[in-house]
Amino acid sequence: MENYDKLLNDLAPQKFGKKGVIWTTILVVLTIAGIIAYIDQVIKGQVVTNMNDYALWGVYISNFVFFVATSFVGTVTVAVLRLTKNSWRTPIVRIAEIISVSAIIMAGITITIDMGRPDRLLNLFIYGRMQSPITWDVIIIPTYITISLLLLYFPLLPDFGLLKKHFKEKKPKLSKWYGKLSLNWTGSEAQKAIQTKSIKIIAILIIPAGFMLQTIDAWLFSTLFRVGWDSTNLGAYFISGASVAGVGALVSVAYVLQKAYKLEDYITDYHFDKLGKFLVLVCLVYLYFNLNEYLIPQLTSKKEATTHINVLLTGQYAPLFWFVIIGGLIVPIIALMFKKGRKPLPMFIIGLLVVVTSWWKRYLIVTPTLLHPFLPIQGVPESWRHYFPSIHEWLITIATLAMALLIITILVRYVPIIPIQRTADEQEQLRTGKNLES
Amino acid sequence: MIISGFFLSLNVHAQETKKNTIRLKADYIKTMNKEIAFNLRASSKVDGSNIDVANIELNVFNEYNDDSVKLGSTITDSEGKGTFLVNDLNLIKPDSTGLYNILISFNGNDAYKRASKSLTYKDATIEAKIIKEDSINYITATLKDTATDSVLIDQILNVQVKRLFRPLRIGPEFNTTDESGTIIVPVEEGIPGVDGMLTFEVVLKDNEDYGTVKAQVTAPLGIPVVDESTFDQRTMWSPRSKTPLFLLIIPNFLTFAIWGIIFYLIFNLVKLSKS
Repeated sequence: MENYDKLLNDLAPQKFGKKGVIWTTILVVLTIAGIIAYIDQVIKGQVVTNMNDYALWGVYISNFVFFVATSFVGTVTVAVLRLTKNSWRTPIVRIAEIISVSAIIMAGITITIDMGRPDRLLNLFIYGRMQSPITWDVIIIPTYITISLLLLYFPLLPDFGLLKKHFKEKKPKLSKWYGKLSLNWTGSEAQKAIQTKSIKIIAILIIPAGFMLQTIDAWLFSTLFRVGWDSTNLGAYFISGASVAGVGALVSVAYVLQKAYKLEDYITDYHFDKLGKFLVLVCLVYLYFNLNEYLIPQLTSKKEATTHINVLLTGQYAPLFWFVIIGGLIVPIIALMFKKGRKPLPMFIIGLLVVVTSWWKRYLIVTPTLLHPFLPIQGVPESWRHYFPSIHEWLITIATLAMALLIITILVRYVPIIPIQRTADEQEQLRTGKNLES
Repeated sequence: MIISGFFLSLNVHAQETKKNTIRLKADYIKTMNKEIAFNLRASSKVDGSNIDVANIELNVFNEYNDDSVKLGSTITDSEGKGTFLVNDLNLIKPDSTGLYNILISFNGNDAYKRASKSLTYKDATIEAKIIKEDSINYITATLKDTATDSVLIDQILNVQVKRLFRPLRIGPEFNTTDESGTIIVPVEEGIPGVDGMLTFEVVLKDNEDYGTVKAQVTAPLGIPVVDESTFDQRTMWSPRSKTPLFLLIIPNFLTFAIWGIIFYLIFNLVKLSKS
């Protein structure tokens, strides 16, 4: 069919060009450097980090929280947009699903990196106490990984079927793999019924799962009595923050893929405009929660709380804090209010800004609180009252970010970025006027 | 040869290590109807500072009628302290004047010289009991010299409630025995005790002649302490065998429900591949 031929030519996975090879090589090198640093950490112990009795959590945990937040994009865009019947979502859902899978896998890996004894990982499952938020985290992360993978895989089945046929002559081995992954997809009514029903179930299931994931992540902090963490606001605060991080990541990756694969006919200015409106909405909600989080302690003025807030607003962490609030929230909100701000290139810049500031926001959530306990710890060196990640921590953290991008890169190499079958169905619907089951 | 031998011997003496002197301290504590304890302490001045001498053996002797009978020995702990207990009071014999003479000695080692300390005391008894007059409980105690069976007057006795770390003093600051060698101290209301039981102690403390003598009497005069331990309860801080029920039910229900759906979806994949 002519329709399918054009779509397959445009959207079938392509071999990397020179830029793709260079990009992948850089990511692999960064990953290897991080693995070497991690091996050194396992051999020597966590003494190679700058974590100590004050900063007993450091950049590994803030990185973990960032990945968990970013993985929320699957819930927010794919599921919520589907259930609210926003049909413009089609070209971007695959990208969102890929980011979600990549981020939640890296979240699981990153938290293991923070373990001093990773060989005891199974003990978390065997001996975990149900009273502990860490046990809840240990349960929800594999659950969300599974649901995200199913959310990615089910809609891919018809596309794998198409790719099997597309590559049969040119790349028989690849065609064989697509055939296996397509699970003998023929497009029969029975298969379509099962697939449609399953996607509906996943789309509903991933919403409570995503909410639980973000809430449990927040409760890792808010079930503790530390200043800055002991807040009933934290669950909703994390959910809204995750929406911002997820949509920001989606915008950034969508732009890069649009340019790299020349997908301007599919991911159009209209989509960026819609994403921009979505992003400004979630930024406004997040800004509201930030106001709650930072303004109320100043009003109630408990001594420890004001000390902590002042460190953020005017003290040691002020430059970073204001960079995160202004760069990550105020500037995006203002810029995205205007149509020109929702064009692809400005959206990409804002998306990148949102992602970077989202990462540093998690650093601001984790580190300053730990450096201000209620009781100062006696008999420790002055240097322990300060924290900045060591070379090992930076190498490992950068490696995890590189690995996340590497997973996205590899998936994009072999998986159609835009759902081919669904795009074909939508085009058919436009042509014939038939209603497409959402 | 004689001259070289003289200088050689001088050299040998100069090479001998200088031994430090040990100071021994000994206190005698008698608990009525229980044991006698000798609290010993060894210290030394080394390089200008006082240090506790740990891990040395101190021998305890009872000296009477020109005899020196070894009662036993004890080894000092890391703080230089040692306690020697005598459970059978008849093991220690007084001299003809009714004085008990104890000698604590240290035989010396490579680092320290020999040392000894004498301790002399007379035996005293405290008879303590609880009486009730006009609905008020009192502790009454009589102090006597055992050898002469005579009461001891104008001696200060402390009355206190036994506690885990430090005792709780009750009554006036100074309780001086009267002509009959007796004190009487009212028991305050409202003192908490395990199951309402209080152990009162009447103490003659650090007396020059009699050492420390202590009498204990237990009576149910306290307010029962309610055990608020949550050890047996299902709480957020208990071990996994005592998880709160709502945390057993709800998370497990959610986990099984979600994973049930996931397995159904995986089953759908199998169905799909076969259809």
